Amino acid sequence: MTTRDLPLLGRWIAARVRMMMRSPRALGFTFAFPLVLVTLFGSLNADQKVTAPSGATVEFTQYYTPSIGVFALTLACYTSLIIGVATARETGLLKRVRGTPLPLPVYLGAWLIGAGVVGILSVVLLFVVAVPAFGVHVYADMLPQALLVLVLGAACLGSIGLALGTMAKTADQATPLAQLTMLPISFISGVWFPITDAPSWLVHLAGFFPLKHLVDAFSACFVPGGSVEGGDLASLAIWFAAGMLVAVRRLRVLDGARSRLIPSFR
Amino acid sequence: MTDAAAIRMLSAMTSTLVHTETAIEVSGVRRAYGPVQALDGVDLTVRRGELLALLGPNGAGKTTLVEILEGHRVADSGRVDVLGHDPARRQRAFLERIGIVLQEEGLDPNLNVGEAVALYSAAYPNPRPVDEVLELVGLGGRAGDRAATMSGGQRRRLDLALGIAGDPEILFLDEPTTGFDPSARRHAWDVINGLRELGKTILLTTHYMEEAQVLADRVVVLSGGRVIAEGTPDTLGGNGESIVTYRQNGRIVRFTTTTPTMDLAPILTAAAERGEELEGLTVTRPSLEDVYLELTEDRS
Repeated sequence: MTTRDLPLLGRWIAARVRMMMRSPRALGFTFAFPLVLVTLFGSLNADQKVTAPSGATVEFTQYYTPSIGVFALTLACYTSLIIGVATARETGLLKRVRGTPLPLPVYLGAWLIGAGVVGILSVVLLFVVAVPAFGVHVYADMLPQALLVLVLGAACLGSIGLALGTMAKTADQATPLAQLTMLPISFISGVWFPITDAPSWLVHLAGFFPLKHLVDAFSACFVPGGSVEGGDLASLAIWFAAGMLVAVRRLRVLDGARSRLIPSFR
Repeated sequence: MTDAAAIRMLSAMTSTLVHTETAIEVSGVRRAYGPVQALDGVDLTVRRGELLALLGPNGAGKTTLVEILEGHRVADSGRVDVLGHDPARRQRAFLERIGIVLQEEGLDPNLNVGEAVALYSAAYPNPRPVDEVLELVGLGGRAGDRAATMSGGQRRRLDLALGIAGDPEILFLDEPTTGFDPSARRHAWDVINGLRELGKTILLTTHYMEEAQVLADRVVVLSGGRVIAEGTPDTLGGNGESIVTYRQNGRIVRFTTTTPTMDLAPILTAAAERGEELEGLTVTRPSLEDVYLELTEDRS
């Protein structure tokens, strides 16, 4: 992949976003499901107050909207990416690409970035609904930081998703791989409820994974006087680098002449 | 000097010239999967602009050979040259010059036909215009259809469209008409013939002898990982033999000969002198299917 491939990358990103916007699974999963969650729990807990990770006491939806936003981002950049790439491999799409001059890094890189674009759009949609419906406050001076956290979070989740997606051989392998990692980690990371009262070992365990840092950093942008912790950003950056390292190695293997994309004997 | 020796000498003298006319050159290619020797020393030459049909029973090594030529797989030993490239290196300059139409390649269900062709052709230096590609494969006017809603035959046309979108010099067609009804198959043959007229080199694998007979300039039969026969569809394995049959005195007479005219002359003269009509007299060449079945039966 060279700089002359940038227009090609741009074309494939645009096409990938278009494909996801046309996919009923992506629309339902990434856009509708988080919206239903926020509407449902926002209405049920309209008068509740919760303690945000920063210690501030805020309205339920003020905490819940950004954390479900992180959940939507996870669905788009992690779960959908893993299942999508594994399905592409199973149905022979990756093999098709491999027989053309389109570099596999451009093809899968466009998928990673396209998933990030869709994920961030789904978060924006969530706020477009939640701000007028539940009076969620958005602090203008925190928006640049919020966007930075989202982009870094999308990159981090997407790189791990790409690494895992290129390891799974079939959609049947990919689905449990994606769900069984994402769901438990989302519970201990404070996606569904704040984990400030959880036992310390659990908090430490959650702190190992990037999702808690993503929830903490993004939620911090929506409390008065909140600020994003450098440690949270560092964790996201380290996981992004680790995910990319594995993904790039996997790509080399898949693109190589002895690739397992081609079954060994038929 | 014998004719054969003269020809060998001539071809050696002009080998550099001949080389530029060669699209694919393979010699001594071997490939094993564990204990199974899928390719056991294959030699093959395909000239530019030629349509070569690769025949052989299942497990003969056809797919392995074609995948080695496409750069999808690596030979254990032997020399492979496709358009001056070693396919195993999977260089981009090589992939820009070939087109691959396999059977089991996926399609993006959420792209329409026109978008898919435009998108995949974007990676090639000199793609063929999308409308022209769709017209060539018989999908003109279907640019808005989604792959998910297409019939099997139409999907195969889209496969072919994606294979030729980059205007490749060599086209690899893997059983392009499997599962087609007779009229769809005729149409596909017209399309393939059209591509040949554009000067494309085409390597076709097929199970349909009629397809090879109609389309191919030359046929190569692979069995047990070796080339067991090659020639034009009409001369393959038959050594120019004809089959003569007729009915005389209620008995069917049948013999094979390389000189039917000479052999028949006395028989016909004698019969004419007696005023006798030889019932059901035919002189035929063995069909490609006859030859193929005979060839592959010997080996199994």
